[in-house]
Amino acid sequence: MSFRTAPLTVARDADKSSLFTDDIRAAIDREIAKYPPEWKQSAVMPTLTLVQDANGGSLTRELMDAVAAYLDMPAMSVYEVASFYGMYDLEPVGRHKVCVCNSISCMLNGSEELIDHVRERYGVAPGETSEDGRFTLKEFECLGACKDAPAVLIDKVYHECLTPAALDKLIDVLD
Amino acid sequence: MLQRARDYLNSLLLLEVLKGLRLTGGYLFKRKFTIQYPEEKAPISPRFRGLHALRRYPNGEERCIACKLCEAVCPALAITIEAEPREDGSRRTTRYDIDLFKCIYCGFCEESCPVDSIVETDIYEYHFENRGDNIMTKDKLLAIGDRYEERIAAARAADAPYR
Amino acid sequence: MSDKITLEIDGRSCKAALGEMIIAVADREGIAIPRFCYHPKLSVAANCRMCLVEAEQGGRPFPKPVPACATPVADGMKVQTRSHKALEAQRGTMEFLLINHPLDCPICDQGGECELQDVSMGYGEDISRFSERKRVVQDEDLGPLIATEMTRCIHCTRCVRFGAEIAGVRELGATGRGEEMRIGTFTAQTVQHELSGNIIDLCPVGALTSKPYRFSARAWELTERDSISPHDSVGANLQLHVRRNQVLRVHPRPNEAVNETWISDRDRFSYQGLNAAERLDQPMVKRNGVWHDIDWTSALKLAADGLRAVEGDTIGCLVSPRATLEEQFLLQKLLRALGSGHIDSRLRQQDFRGDASDPQRPWLGVSIAELEQQKALVLIGSDLRAEQPLLAHRIRKAALAGAQVSVFNYFNVELTHPHQSFTAPPGCLLVELAALAAALELRGSSDAVRELIGLAKPEDAHHALAQQLRAARNDGNGLILLGALAEADPDYTLIKALAEAIAIGSGVRLGYLPSAANSTGAALAGALPHRAPAGEVLETPGLNAREMLTSPRRAYLLWDIDPAADVLDPALAQVALSDAQLVVACSSFRTPALEQHAHLLLPISAFAETSGTFVNAEGRWQGFQGAVAPPGEARPGWKLLRVLGNLLELEGFAYDSARELRTELETLCANSSFDNSARALRPALKVPDIDQQLMRVGQVPIYASDMLTRHAAALQHTPLGESIAVHLHPEQAGELGFAHGERVSIRQGDATATATVVITDSVPKGCARIPAAVPGSETLGAQIGPVALTKARG
Repeated sequence: MSFRTAPLTVARDADKSSLFTDDIRAAIDREIAKYPPEWKQSAVMPTLTLVQDANGGSLTRELMDAVAAYLDMPAMSVYEVASFYGMYDLEPVGRHKVCVCNSISCMLNGSEELIDHVRERYGVAPGETSEDGRFTLKEFECLGACKDAPAVLIDKVYHECLTPAALDKLIDVLD
Repeated sequence: MLQRARDYLNSLLLLEVLKGLRLTGGYLFKRKFTIQYPEEKAPISPRFRGLHALRRYPNGEERCIACKLCEAVCPALAITIEAEPREDGSRRTTRYDIDLFKCIYCGFCEESCPVDSIVETDIYEYHFENRGDNIMTKDKLLAIGDRYEERIAAARAADAPYR
Repeated sequence: MSDKITLEIDGRSCKAALGEMIIAVADREGIAIPRFCYHPKLSVAANCRMCLVEAEQGGRPFPKPVPACATPVADGMKVQTRSHKALEAQRGTMEFLLINHPLDCPICDQGGECELQDVSMGYGEDISRFSERKRVVQDEDLGPLIATEMTRCIHCTRCVRFGAEIAGVRELGATGRGEEMRIGTFTAQTVQHELSGNIIDLCPVGALTSKPYRFSARAWELTERDSISPHDSVGANLQLHVRRNQVLRVHPRPNEAVNETWISDRDRFSYQGLNAAERLDQPMVKRNGVWHDIDWTSALKLAADGLRAVEGDTIGCLVSPRATLEEQFLLQKLLRALGSGHIDSRLRQQDFRGDASDPQRPWLGVSIAELEQQKALVLIGSDLRAEQPLLAHRIRKAALAGAQVSVFNYFNVELTHPHQSFTAPPGCLLVELAALAAALELRGSSDAVRELIGLAKPEDAHHALAQQLRAARNDGNGLILLGALAEADPDYTLIKALAEAIAIGSGVRLGYLPSAANSTGAALAGALPHRAPAGEVLETPGLNAREMLTSPRRAYLLWDIDPAADVLDPALAQVALSDAQLVVACSSFRTPALEQHAHLLLPISAFAETSGTFVNAEGRWQGFQGAVAPPGEARPGWKLLRVLGNLLELEGFAYDSARELRTELETLCANSSFDNSARALRPALKVPDIDQQLMRVGQVPIYASDMLTRHAAALQHTPLGESIAVHLHPEQAGELGFAHGERVSIRQGDATATATVVITDSVPKGCARIPAAVPGSETLGAQIGPVALTKARG
């Protein structure tokens, strides 16, 4: 009985240079360099983010397998990470992601109202994409912005203390 | 001495017989308790424990899920069950036998049944003519259940408030 | 600071080692703490929170209840497992766990033996305060062995950790988050690892249950009987669960020295074969090509008369290496009393030139538990995971602890730990080994070895391995293991000579991986042509398994083998048998080949139906009793041999019990120790022509190893239940002009078969991997030997 201390690595002889583009590989390698060499799988989250951004905002099974191969880790571990965190999408998404925090502080300060508003005005329920493919509405777990609830994350920008009207303004300017 | 002589004389008068006949004569004109079985039947409780039956749900699906609790609880080891997954993957018995010669009609099986499948009906008039008839198979039990479902359901409903 | 500390659990003073967890100490002391996710063989996850206890250290209580499984003990710690605070915490956890757990115990196979059920009886409330909807999880098909009901899962992650830590493949994982979390393969695939059945035992609830056993019985109906696995040479300790004279499932019996708490899927599910329709349950005789049922008296009389009618020397006996020690002992006694020394259990060996110089009683070389402590391990000719699933696990443990594992094999074996592969076709593998010898700067004791070393050109990998072996010598933790596949090599003697040279030259130990449950015992029982009981050397050996077939005998006695699958060269065996005057087959199954070639079929008990003894790879004698009665007229093998011996009026067959036999054997073998050093110099051998002739390598797939396994339906339906195919290197296939999936005909001398081509780079050039003992391979020749492939017509 022990706490596991060593990472579970998978020996692979796959040609890593065939995975991803040169730019992405360079970016991943920069992330990997931040960790001790035997812990390069610690870079799985930034890697997934890089790969997802390059793939139009969502991940596919093949991409996750490629990430696993690149980081010498079991594919299952990558699936676990990608399915756990809200910022990774396993289904195709719209051009933008509107992530409404629905954890306790935001919920008490009216995030449900925001979600209902989007549903009524744009006909988009959480998890769905607008018909024109402009944005995907996501119900998010805590964004860490409880102080200024309710918070909404649009792509990579936080917007706080929102009202339905303020959210409308933000959504309307999305291309 | 005197007492003995008096007893002897009384015995000649058949007084005891007359006393007895008076009691008999009294009942001759009272309301009768006797019922004319089989034309008449005694009333029975909804908890009566007679012949067993296996019930079905209203949609025709058999209730028994082969949990084998009745088999485990049976003090007379009268129940034998074999089970396997049915084609649709549900848990069903392939054999459900009750040996009525072993059964002591204690009712534990119906008490233990989580789905009200095995029940003891109010039927107490049955007999066997052939060796082996005493084994109530799954088909026979289900047939009894199908035939008397209304009565079984009525008895359960009548007893429900007290359970 | 001493490594022993004292702490107090529930007022009881306990000794513990530093770094131990509270729950481990409590378990040792017999103090029950409820738990779901903790398992002594797995890492600590502390995610079920059921083992919360109250603790204080140095007079200061911990602010919250602490998980006993993840809190290391400290000197002077005081732990309360049943205090009000601890019980409140446990009760709260239980209520949370039951929120989403369905109350379907009546239809759950775990019902009656469920940890959650037990604990909820102790801590659960009668009424749930949760009135919302319960979670429902879609089921996943994990293959023919494991049934799932994922709604019941409580996310203890024991199965996930088993995959990561014990099996070494992350087949299962926990995807999603919070209420969406689910255990599964994510990619909807079959769980493939050969130890994966253990997750059935690990699962504390009914989420993972045995599929073949599904819904067939309840825990309280079953009687537990101890037994020993009859498959690999580990002799895993088993518990057979029996109801109404039928084995319904098999569980492991913990034995740290042998199988720890695991068993392989082969040990777990092979019991299905016991109830197969092909069981032989009646003595049968063939008259004019038609099989007739007969009674035992006439059958035994026929057998005795038949054996008496031929000269002793013309009888040959092929005995399964899975027969019990008692059966093998009686068989050799019978044969030798009849005047024949031709008995052999090495049915898959091709090269017997080393018999005279072979070690007297070969064995694993170390104890099974010691395998874990090896620092350098060299495996020669072994499909390790298929041959010895549990030893593969021990070797994996050694590898994870830093051992260097190298594999010399005819094809790449997929191991779940870092290892170095030296892959070469038969013949070339000798050169690979010689390169290692050359890297060790050995000269070799015989001409052949010298010549091979001369041929070899050691590369960096060989030098590195030589370095590892030298380093391992210093603390005596190096081991070279000869596997079962090497036995089938036409130059096994040369392989042994090279392995011995390397072992001696580098100062590490040499071991044999015996192929079957009683391979090691065969030497003790005397079921070898060159060994008398107790492994005494016979100066005038009888014919070995191959000679018995190449110079055909007039009569054959087959003991629990299928001549189409359980021998090195099924084609040769069937030709020899078809020409024989009398073939008496004692078998627990009817197979087409037996029906075709035997004249008399005598039904004997299979595993679980007889008492006996297996001697495992490390030389451990493990006795077992019969758990169920054999079907129909089948009888325990030793009883059949006793009666046959008496009918033949031979001396020494008056046994009243198997126990008596075992005692006699124990007395005989009292002074027999195992030793792997060669008895004499290896004979002068010719180095084979190492050209690029295409060679067949026929490994025995894991679920084709013996008759019982081959008749276990569920195992055959797993992805590991291989069927015949020709696995070729892409270049080889290109040269021959074959495409993937094409039908080709295989020719080995006169033996032919057809199969489809599978192109894979796990097989080296010059080698065609065509599995043995699988359907379709019955008509083929030697497991390892030259093969010609042509496009199949039509």
